[in-house]
Amino acid sequence: MHIRPKIVIIIPIYNESKVIGEVVANVRKSGFDNIIIIDDGSTDNSFEIIKHLPVIALQHKINRGKGATIRTGTEAAMFIGADIVVTMDGDGQHDALDIDRFVKAFQEKDVDVVLGVRQLEKENMPISRKLANWIADKVTFLLYGVNLQDSQSGFRAFSAHAIKLIKTKSNAYSYESEVLREIKTHQLSYTEVPIHVRYTAYSTSKKHKQNIVNGIKTIYTMIWNILS
Amino acid sequence: MEHTILIMIAFHLYQLIVSGIAILMIFQGAIKYFTHGENQSFLKFFVRLIVWGGMATVSLFPQITNALASFVGLQGNINAVIMTGFLLVFLMIFKILSVVERIEHDISVLTREDALKKLKSDVR
Repeated sequence: MHIRPKIVIIIPIYNESKVIGEVVANVRKSGFDNIIIIDDGSTDNSFEIIKHLPVIALQHKINRGKGATIRTGTEAAMFIGADIVVTMDGDGQHDALDIDRFVKAFQEKDVDVVLGVRQLEKENMPISRKLANWIADKVTFLLYGVNLQDSQSGFRAFSAHAIKLIKTKSNAYSYESEVLREIKTHQLSYTEVPIHVRYTAYSTSKKHKQNIVNGIKTIYTMIWNILS
Repeated sequence: MEHTILIMIAFHLYQLIVSGIAILMIFQGAIKYFTHGENQSFLKFFVRLIVWGGMATVSLFPQITNALASFVGLQGNINAVIMTGFLLVFLMIFKILSVVERIEHDISVLTREDALKKLKSDVR
């Protein structure tokens, strides 16, 4: 008898009150009901909204950054017995239908980690973000020795085994690269799958998203993590 | 005793202090790395070895910097003053950033524990 793994979707949010309801509806429509949303100290009413959604709603009382928020989510997921943990953004840019690609990759390739690659609609990606991602990819390769098509994608999936091994301390966006370092350190097997990304006016207008300035901060943090 | 005095004569005080600090930093890094401390890697240990090892080498054998001093245009004792000042500033920044990082990490851990408290009590 084939036992279906328990798949838990983690969505970190910061001031996403306008779109989070739709994001959750799309994930549930795709057939995934185990959803954990972590509000990272939003200044709008995001937490009030997610409290009334059919999800596990957690709240950081103060803003700690995406890395810290995802780690809270993975701890919660392990606590409720997840076999596979999927992380996705809460601004609606990720397509919930792609979660199936991650699950299939786990079943077909027997890997520890599946990484999403934003290549299906690459022509729609803003130039500043393309440049920031390109620099981050190269720096990640130089510092951590991991050569990937998209080192900064937040749409990823991890086995429970991988979650137990991956230990990160970055609070902010350098988290994405730090995870790759941990994959390399623990010699976890991984594969990449293409994903859809919707660059809406809403998602590109958010100031805290990856851009050149945040890219430089990310690189600085990565270098500091090596030196300290 | 004579041996110790000979060492003191052979090296200036700043050389012993700088190399002492460098050895301490390398020693701390080695303990973290070999006891498999959190987020430690060979690359991190290697970089620490190069940075602090380099400082110890330059302080113990300052003639190595002659080529650089000629290039920059500074000669004589001023090199030692500049290097010591630079080292102190570097050391202070290094320690301050380490403390800030540790505090940030502790705040995240506390925030996480608070966020998970209700879930854990509900599941139990």
